[in-house]
Amino acid sequence: MKKILLMGNPNVGKSVFFNRLTGANVIESNYPGTTVDYTKGYMKGDSEDFEIIDVPGTFSLEAKDKAEEVAVKMLEEEKGALVICVIDASKIERGLYLCLEIIERGYSVVMALNMWDVAEDKNVQIDIEKLKNILNIPVVPTVAISGKGFKEVVLSIKKAASVGVKEIMERVGETK
Amino acid sequence: MEKKLSEMNYEEEGRVGSIKQDLKNKVAGMGIRVGKNLKMITKHPLRGPIVVEVDGAHTSLALSIADRIIVEVKK
Amino acid sequence: MTLTADERWDLIEKISNKVVTFGKFKHTLKDALGELTVKPLTGIPIAITVLYGFWSVFSSFAGTLCTDGFFVKLFDGHFLPWIQSVFPGVGGWFYYIFVGDPAADNCFEAFGVLTSGLFVAIGVVLPAIFIFYLMMALLEDVGYMPRLAVLVDTIFHRIGLHGYAIVPSILALGCNVPAVTATRILETKKQRFIMMTLLAIFIPCGAQLGIMQEVIPESIGIVLLYLIFGYFIFGFILNKLVPGKSPEILIDVPPYQKPMWNNIARKLRMRLGGFLKTAVPFVLLGCVIVNILYLAGTIDWLAKTLTPLLTGWFGVPGETVGPLIAAFLRKDLAVAQLSTIEMSKYQMITSVVLVSIYFPCIATFVMLLKEGWKNLIGSFAVLVTVIFLYGGLINLIWSLLGVQ
Repeated sequence: MKKILLMGNPNVGKSVFFNRLTGANVIESNYPGTTVDYTKGYMKGDSEDFEIIDVPGTFSLEAKDKAEEVAVKMLEEEKGALVICVIDASKIERGLYLCLEIIERGYSVVMALNMWDVAEDKNVQIDIEKLKNILNIPVVPTVAISGKGFKEVVLSIKKAASVGVKEIMERVGETK
Repeated sequence: MEKKLSEMNYEEEGRVGSIKQDLKNKVAGMGIRVGKNLKMITKHPLRGPIVVEVDGAHTSLALSIADRIIVEVKK
Repeated sequence: MTLTADERWDLIEKISNKVVTFGKFKHTLKDALGELTVKPLTGIPIAITVLYGFWSVFSSFAGTLCTDGFFVKLFDGHFLPWIQSVFPGVGGWFYYIFVGDPAADNCFEAFGVLTSGLFVAIGVVLPAIFIFYLMMALLEDVGYMPRLAVLVDTIFHRIGLHGYAIVPSILALGCNVPAVTATRILETKKQRFIMMTLLAIFIPCGAQLGIMQEVIPESIGIVLLYLIFGYFIFGFILNKLVPGKSPEILIDVPPYQKPMWNNIARKLRMRLGGFLKTAVPFVLLGCVIVNILYLAGTIDWLAKTLTPLLTGWFGVPGETVGPLIAAFLRKDLAVAQLSTIEMSKYQMITSVVLVSIYFPCIATFVMLLKEGWKNLIGSFAVLVTVIFLYGGLINLIWSLLGVQ
């Protein structure tokens, strides 16, 4: 079964996000050799099923504490995994930092701009189409607490592919 | 005027001028980087931690960490 | 290809310039509340209020409502007479272990596995743990904990920890087992060693709090005061003695959010499940072992042998040996047992403090062992020192006050 890692900054609604994607069959476990907890579950895709892992929240891949270290290790162990990067849309720059780090390491990424409603409340407007074109990865606005955008997240999983950061830099230069 | 982040006063705003090299990567993920505007939200007494606002997000730093960040303070 | 932090931020700023427009930042009520609770002048009184509220709800729900209002009536009024009458072999050892004293009229004093054991586990401890974790999950879910961490950072810094040490410390008030796990949010070995040692020694768990609430409600404040002082005094000393670094606080303070009930329910289910699986078997096993030791005469012998030490140094009766052995398995059980021994109020306070700072219960012990045996030996050395110094000190205080 293909694996999906759910990654993101702390406090972006990632665990609610995880609960939405998975069914009731959720397994709580310890990362081997540590006592950092993580949860694992299964998700029905449109053509295949996935194992989905809720990785502890982290601000970057430069770990500051044990939980962040575990996040980095889990990412490094699952070389072939796809990453859904959950971002607080109202703090998109911070989220992009982690997301770019993951992209730079060669992972296929789907970006979920979560807490889209909060961003709207705070007058933060994001041009999704432009962002998609620059990054060349699927970008989906979501609201985990209401379930908005989740179908699209599931559908865009198969569109995710590894992209080069150099190309991203070039595309930013060309974009108006 | 330039001063250390730890010396900024309550409610003062400024722009990050420089960050000590060894600290850069540690705070980068939290959005604190050179050129960024920040605002002092609160300072705790007895050399306690400070809380700053960057891009609408609050981050708390120990005073000794704030010592290593230089800020160009706005008048 | 990977970028440096600066290059990455350059790229993000370029992307952000093209795709994001930040409107005027609206200062919402949530933001105002967020700032009020993190500034010392307003934040500290609010924190005290929150923690006091936490304690009031805890004690009135667990103690008054569930235990006294329901379980005591159920167990003492119906269950105890019933099991005393139907269990075969009154007077035999089997009866003694499982039902205990056939003449007992309440479940504290019967001391059988199926009477006191079940009552302590389900009637006293379960409601305490339930309400504790419910409120803890609520505080975590709305995002209060990071603010509390910032507020207490200054004081925790003096004992070599930082503000987030408040999370394992409060969790330990529920159960030490998940608290040992939670020490992972501290960064260095030194910090984690200090934290684990302090919480294993000085923080009474919810089970113990629940039972203290039940059997010594008038002295619980003094017991807690002694434990809190001990926590900081020995924390301060450990910070000076233990080699290593104590990194500074650097944490995100997220905005408040509406609690998500299914999130809270999930956390509560996990923690309660963990408690039922690890604690309840130990309570029952503890009862069995202590009862066997009583039957075999081991406890009387130990009591006699250790009496000079216990009365001479700590000023408590020799009979406290039994509870001290039980304390190795479960602290709640030990306190329940202490309450049936004849002694003065001050001796009771000393013995309860001793039981608290005495060796952590076996479940915590296993958790500590998992974190590394070197740490455990270190913690153990600190613990022995603390028991003798602090236990003796408390006795000395009573003598000086002339209250024995």
